[in-house]
Amino acid sequence: MRFFRQDLHTLTGAYALDALDSASEITRFNRHLSRCQSCASEVRGFREVATAMACAATTEAPAAMRERVMAAAARTRQLPPEIRTHARPRRTRSSAPWIPWLSGAIATAAIAVAVFFGFAQSHTQNELNQARSQNQALAAAQSRVEAELTQAKEHDQALAQILGAPHVTLLSQRTTKGGVAVVVLDAATRKLVVATSGLPALPAGKVYQLWLIGPVKIVSAGLLPTAQAGVTTPVVATGIVKGDKLGLTVEPAPGSKQPTTTPILALPLPV
Amino acid sequence: MNPNDSDASRFRPATADRRGERDLDDLLVHVARGDQGAFETLYDRMVGPVYGVIRKVLRDPSQSEEVAQEVLLEVWRTAARFDPAMGGAATWVTTIAHRRAIDRIRSTTAAADREHRTADVSPPHDEVAEAVEASLDRERVRRCLEGLTEVQRESITLAYYGGNSYRQVAELLHVTLGAIKTRIRDGLIRMRDCLGVS
Repeated sequence: MRFFRQDLHTLTGAYALDALDSASEITRFNRHLSRCQSCASEVRGFREVATAMACAATTEAPAAMRERVMAAAARTRQLPPEIRTHARPRRTRSSAPWIPWLSGAIATAAIAVAVFFGFAQSHTQNELNQARSQNQALAAAQSRVEAELTQAKEHDQALAQILGAPHVTLLSQRTTKGGVAVVVLDAATRKLVVATSGLPALPAGKVYQLWLIGPVKIVSAGLLPTAQAGVTTPVVATGIVKGDKLGLTVEPAPGSKQPTTTPILALPLPV
Repeated sequence: MNPNDSDASRFRPATADRRGERDLDDLLVHVARGDQGAFETLYDRMVGPVYGVIRKVLRDPSQSEEVAQEVLLEVWRTAARFDPAMGGAATWVTTIAHRRAIDRIRSTTAAADREHRTADVSPPHDEVAEAVEASLDRERVRRCLEGLTEVQRESITLAYYGGNSYRQVAELLHVTLGAIKTRIRDGLIRMRDCLGVS
């Protein structure tokens, strides 16, 4: 045990550089940090070194990014502060140094949703502008793009409603085939938004299908869109009932009425 | 220069600051209250390091842009969770940026691809002329890195800029795991002293 601790202590450097190997190693080290004052202060110092290295790597970012981030911020609800009910300083998992990895990943869910939606919308808008600027653009093509835009806007409203709801629950789970599904659940309206990252690519003719797996019946919640850079754009699912789990299976295109393969994800939905 | 000796001022990135010497920690407090103007200022000050460190790790410009956007929006969204007792605002923001870049390679990039990308640890070419302060940071970090032993320097840059785990670094440098942990830690202690981190 003593050796084990000693061994953990020398990991302060690798930890501060985000160079630990696995989520379990990070969890173990976080637990150690919450008990080891000297490790925590060492990590703080090392993080400052890392900050200097980040600043030394300063690179001019694409100018268009600023507007996109500001637009996404304008429609993104901020997390409330954590209320500390104990007067004495506690060092528990929730107050462990920095954002714990998992909760960070979860927080990214809503952010991914907002950012990717921003992308989708601006692309459609560009397409529309392009279509308009070309005089010879066929009216049919234009109305198709406009229809897409309207659809995108309706989708945005559904997303905005869920993301702006007062008490959303953020959930995330790894699938058995790798990759993560992230879910923003609004229990009050029984709706959710799901996005995924890092799912294995599928061969042609196969699709990922979402399911609401209940105690009585299984209902399709639609297909996952094709991933871009490993990430799928958010999908809205409605009509969640008590006891439902969010399931994900690989199905033959264009999807199945009922799952035909073993779910690679079964995430309980607390409604 | 800001007389305030917090890490925020020491590592203050270069981009123009429309609110003068307003402290980063203070800005973040206003961001947490939904102040969009404060967020714009914070963005201008931190976007260079955020995008830069993500670029270092991921290399690919469009992927880096995507991750940088997520990071900056996460800063907006979680600003209320920032705890100054744990370190300065610049450290908070760059830590999120680096972690998200690492998350991205550990979850989505094939191992072979990653090794290919991280084999080259030379600094990227400057795409745009950089402000004086960023180059001062760069100079200071370069000088301190030079003060390390070769293995310490390689371990730290392969881990932080290359986005390799310490196991991967051990593999790349043909050193035992125990030795890598110690070298990263010893190297960081030297860097910390050299940079004058308290």
